[in-house]
Amino acid sequence: MSELQALQLRLQRAVMASAATPLAELVGDGIADAKSRLAIYRHGYRARLREALGNEFPTLASVAGRRFNALLDRYIDACPSEHYNLRWHGAGLAAFLRYALPWRDRPAFAEAAELDWAISTCFDAADEPAIGAEALAAVAPQDWAELRLLPQQHLQWLALSTNVDAFRTAVDAAAARPHLRRRARPRRLLVWRQELTVRYRAVEPAEAALLAAAARGEPFAALCELAAADAPPGQAVARLATLLRQWVDAGLLRELQAGGM
Amino acid sequence: MSHVDNERPPYLGYGLGLRVEYYQELLDRPHSVDWLEIVSENYMVPGGLPLVWLERFRARFPLAMHGVSLSIGGTDPLDEGYLARLDALARRIEPAWVSDHLCWTGVQGVNLHDLMPLPYTEEALDHVVARVRQVQERLRRRILLENVSSYIRFADAQLEEWEFLAEVARRADCLILLDINNVYVSARNHGFDALRYLDGIPVERVQQFHLAGHEHGEALLVDTHDAPVPTPVWTLYEAAVRRFGAVSTMIERDDHMPPLSELLAELEHARRLAAPLAKAAA
Repeated sequence: MSELQALQLRLQRAVMASAATPLAELVGDGIADAKSRLAIYRHGYRARLREALGNEFPTLASVAGRRFNALLDRYIDACPSEHYNLRWHGAGLAAFLRYALPWRDRPAFAEAAELDWAISTCFDAADEPAIGAEALAAVAPQDWAELRLLPQQHLQWLALSTNVDAFRTAVDAAAARPHLRRRARPRRLLVWRQELTVRYRAVEPAEAALLAAAARGEPFAALCELAAADAPPGQAVARLATLLRQWVDAGLLRELQAGGM
Repeated sequence: MSHVDNERPPYLGYGLGLRVEYYQELLDRPHSVDWLEIVSENYMVPGGLPLVWLERFRARFPLAMHGVSLSIGGTDPLDEGYLARLDALARRIEPAWVSDHLCWTGVQGVNLHDLMPLPYTEEALDHVVARVRQVQERLRRRILLENVSSYIRFADAQLEEWEFLAEVARRADCLILLDINNVYVSARNHGFDALRYLDGIPVERVQQFHLAGHEHGEALLVDTHDAPVPTPVWTLYEAAVRRFGAVSTMIERDDHMPPLSELLAELEHARRLAAPLAKAAA
């Protein structure tokens, strides 16, 4: 290790430390002592990461309330940023909350972070085309069975056992913070970007299963079978047609792929 | 070895840092902003709104790219993934130039997201010069390095900051983004003469000026970019224009964002101060 490398490592540790640690390599003068000089970097480090995480995780901030900064400090200490973009420091926050005490016993925290991060990553995900209704109309009747309906690649499904999505909606609308509720069964939430607007909505298990099957590349005939297993007799195709139209209107599908491709 | 384009970038006039708060207004209203500087990392993204806006600005303004995570003084190997994305963005928007800071941002994979000063030693000088050359070959263009505000003092410094910066520029054949506010802040924090700093910088290397405000801490000035350019920085800017002539200048504001009109007024002030001085210096 070069002298420069060793110095940078010691200085980095001192900047990241939660308590001030003197470094022999640093000196003070008549203007300011070494400790108060280093303190500017120490305070700046934590403040910058906190601010960036606060911007990316408004739902989590709302759920955590006044415990938010303490939570962020634990994350900052456990998981320093390794990305060139400050925004991406938040990539591991949901996983951290899933496993770290005391939050692992309170799923709303990790779920709030997952929702915020899904919204954040959809925001600048790669641009993809979205098919319109005319593309559906152009499919020849004999091609439907083998047709594959490919959803947007940035589409994310979350399984939420709490109503954290209501917290996000309230934050975005600058409305009052709702009461936290736990659901008897987890609910699927879909997060995607329609053109340049990030959207999210709850989906019923049957719709989630159909969309997941489409994402796996299963043909339309297989989706019909799946729908038939869940719909009242004779209504599967009509139900699927309705869903299909909703998916197209919401910009959820990027491509129709003919069979045999 | 790839070719490094060492043609001098053009003079762009008076610009602003592109910030989200001013997106619409900059496109909608007539104003006197000649060019825009973007923070490179904000647009090194796969897609979505940031790149849509960027294309709109690209169609209307000359752009310069200004990065914060190159870590030219860092001792980890240069991040090839980062350089590839930086290069891709530069190919996409064809900026007038690409700049970053004379600093390091972290080691062992960590990014402190701060502009950490280097100890101004011969070892650090050799290290930085080699890395600047490497980056310039990778990007096939000369880069600009900006002097940072600094607060700590290294016991074993062998060179003054301006000597270090000038030597890096000469030996690596790169250009300089001279942040006038940072010169002032560091001069106050370390007790050196800001004019001596300017005198130590080679005139032919300076491609851009930054102007910004700062905050008064207990004993030290802190480079916060959250306030108007203060009088002593304007005074130092005048001295810089006298020495360096007409240099592309921009106002850098990152926090406590004022109405755009306030930044435009600052830009006009820079124009009024610099125009006669630059003419006299030419």
